[in-house]
Amino acid sequence: MKSPDELFVQSRNAMGTVFTIYLYAHDGELAGVLFESAFEEIERLEEALSNYRATSELSRINRLAARQAVTTDPEVFALLQTSVAYSQRSAGAFDVTVGPLMRAWGFFRGGGRYPADAELRHARESVGSEKVNLDPATRTVHFAAPGVELDLGAIGKGYAVDRAVKVLREAGVKAALVDAGSSTLYAMNAPPGKSAWTVHVPRPGDRSQTVSTVALRNEALSTSGNYEKFFQLNGRRYCHVMDPRAGVPVQGVLQATLIAPDSTTTDALSNAMFVMGPEAGSKLLATVSAARGLWILGEPESQRLVQWQWQDCGGDVQTLVTKREKGKEQIAR
Amino acid sequence: MNRREFIGRAAAAGGALLLVENGESRPKAPSDQINLGIIGPGSRGQQLMRTFLRVPGVRFAGLCDVYEPRFAAAREITKENTPIYHDYRELLAARDLDAVIVSTPLSLHSQHEIAALESGRHVYGEKSLAFTVEECYSIVDAVKRTGKHFQVGLQYHYAPWYRETLRRIQAGKIGRVTQVYAYWHRNNNWRRPVPNGSDKKLERLINWRLYKEYSGGLVAELGSHHINFANEVFGSMPELVVGSGGIDFWKDGRETQDNVQVTYRYPSGQTLVFSAITTNQLDGAQVRVYGTDGSAVLTESDAIFYYEPKRPQSAVAQQTIVEHGIVTGASYRSEMPYRGPGETVSVPKDKQGSPDYVACASFIDSIRRNQRPEADEQVALAAGMAVALGNQAIDHGKRIVFSEHSRQT
Repeated sequence: MKSPDELFVQSRNAMGTVFTIYLYAHDGELAGVLFESAFEEIERLEEALSNYRATSELSRINRLAARQAVTTDPEVFALLQTSVAYSQRSAGAFDVTVGPLMRAWGFFRGGGRYPADAELRHARESVGSEKVNLDPATRTVHFAAPGVELDLGAIGKGYAVDRAVKVLREAGVKAALVDAGSSTLYAMNAPPGKSAWTVHVPRPGDRSQTVSTVALRNEALSTSGNYEKFFQLNGRRYCHVMDPRAGVPVQGVLQATLIAPDSTTTDALSNAMFVMGPEAGSKLLATVSAARGLWILGEPESQRLVQWQWQDCGGDVQTLVTKREKGKEQIAR
Repeated sequence: MNRREFIGRAAAAGGALLLVENGESRPKAPSDQINLGIIGPGSRGQQLMRTFLRVPGVRFAGLCDVYEPRFAAAREITKENTPIYHDYRELLAARDLDAVIVSTPLSLHSQHEIAALESGRHVYGEKSLAFTVEECYSIVDAVKRTGKHFQVGLQYHYAPWYRETLRRIQAGKIGRVTQVYAYWHRNNNWRRPVPNGSDKKLERLINWRLYKEYSGGLVAELGSHHINFANEVFGSMPELVVGSGGIDFWKDGRETQDNVQVTYRYPSGQTLVFSAITTNQLDGAQVRVYGTDGSAVLTESDAIFYYEPKRPQSAVAQQTIVEHGIVTGASYRSEMPYRGPGETVSVPKDKQGSPDYVACASFIDSIRRNQRPEADEQVALAAGMAVALGNQAIDHGKRIVFSEHSRQT
């Protein structure tokens, strides 16, 4: 009789973070081959989507698309279409052209600074998904303004997770969890003898504390948050997540977590959720099939939770929410 | 091909690169659309498909494979119902093909490429050129006979930082080049997952690189890129080769070696040492070019120059040593490896691009302009012969002399 599958794990650096894959396989040698093919797919996508590598397809588009319409392959084109569609659905809260604003606020290198008015105005002229013209007939990308640049950092990891999961499924893997830097993950099926993979959503600022525990089976989860990186100016606290619509960083939101059927969606829209907050964000989630969302608002020392269709399996979620807040903030469909 | 021809090609490649990156390879009219067919859309073939689809006016008009799941994967790339063929002769019988990509196992290259050329199509053929020296020459003959363009899938031939490095080496920046040491060191078993692990036939199909019936092993699949660069640096193909290798670690039923070391000698007294191992990746994939005045180290994403200590210099400025004397002591001369910084080759923005993109765009450009590709059948022959004879040297434990196997073309 065939011995039962064992759990194997491997981590590798990719896309500016650490990807970790957990999978069940019959033996270590097979696991090694499976890891190799899944990481090869992630590496392939980094080579296509990175905006740090001069040789990537995205860098080629960024170099040329302000001057001319640039043809790209159907996969990259489709991901750009998806990105622009998410921008539209989130009324600009998710935006792959946000790079110039991030640079103006000093978020690429160092801790952040308040940009001069002229600098901010200049940056905003190159931001906005409506400045990215996509022509499906020719599969071309053309920027409507100089200085526009694409940064797929808020969707590419999710797409890579989905593709790695596809590779593992096609190779016959029965259960796996693919994790991109713990901010986006996909749970494929369930460990042997279990009904789902267990994922803990940590308390912002203290990863040792769990805010909520969820059970995932063939679902993705992404958490957006930037409570580790922030800066204070004139008594206000700015995090490193930009609200592209306002041109200023988001305030008052500590963390947003989204569960949905695929990681491309959760990666992009957890970002939009963070920027939009619960009020507008829950309206967006209502348009996503099988979505569940959890916001943590306030300040690190005084946090409160807002949930939307959230299903906690550990019963922890209430402990952080006072009765009054719960009654007020819980948004029902 | 003589040294001057080799160097002339190298210089021309820089120009082609600029044209491609500036987008001049676009179609002039809708009728300029280039329809491609592909034989063997496996992992490498699929990557080529994606890259070719980044070139304006390119479409896939036919997919051919013997392994059914490849069709769905390839159609996912084209995102259309591209016609499929189970036999390459059916693909070649289709009317609307301009060129054919051949990315099949090495032992099938000559059969597929010659048939494609004879059907009147230009061919982009994956490296290495062919399984045997005879097959290499048969492809070269077919290119000549049909007058069609042939480009070999040695994409680093088009890598912008390789071109710039070659230009600097040829301009004498590192003096006289005497040696190239090239590594492709990995730490994995070089296998791909087989959906039904117990199916022996499927195992040989998917992991064809591990079986001698199809594959030239590590020298063909990895070494051919480095051999091609050494050919360019030295301006010719090698004149003899010795080699060793074995199945020493991955004793899993494979037939190709899991480690190889080949040493090629070139006509002007230069040497290429190529090593591929599968048990340690400290050195990764790199080419180290050693000259009397410096070195160049090339990787899959950059190139760095290092310079040798300066030659004897005039000491007139230090006359005091003559007047005051010098202190004596035990002699010491450091032979420690150099661990300092180097000079990274920077590529101008308008010449940047991935090796795959520039190679694919250049091939399409060659068709549109009716110009000979840079990495043509002669470049392919020089590297392909070195691969085939390197494997003979390993397999038979013999010193192989190229002139005993080559003929004038």
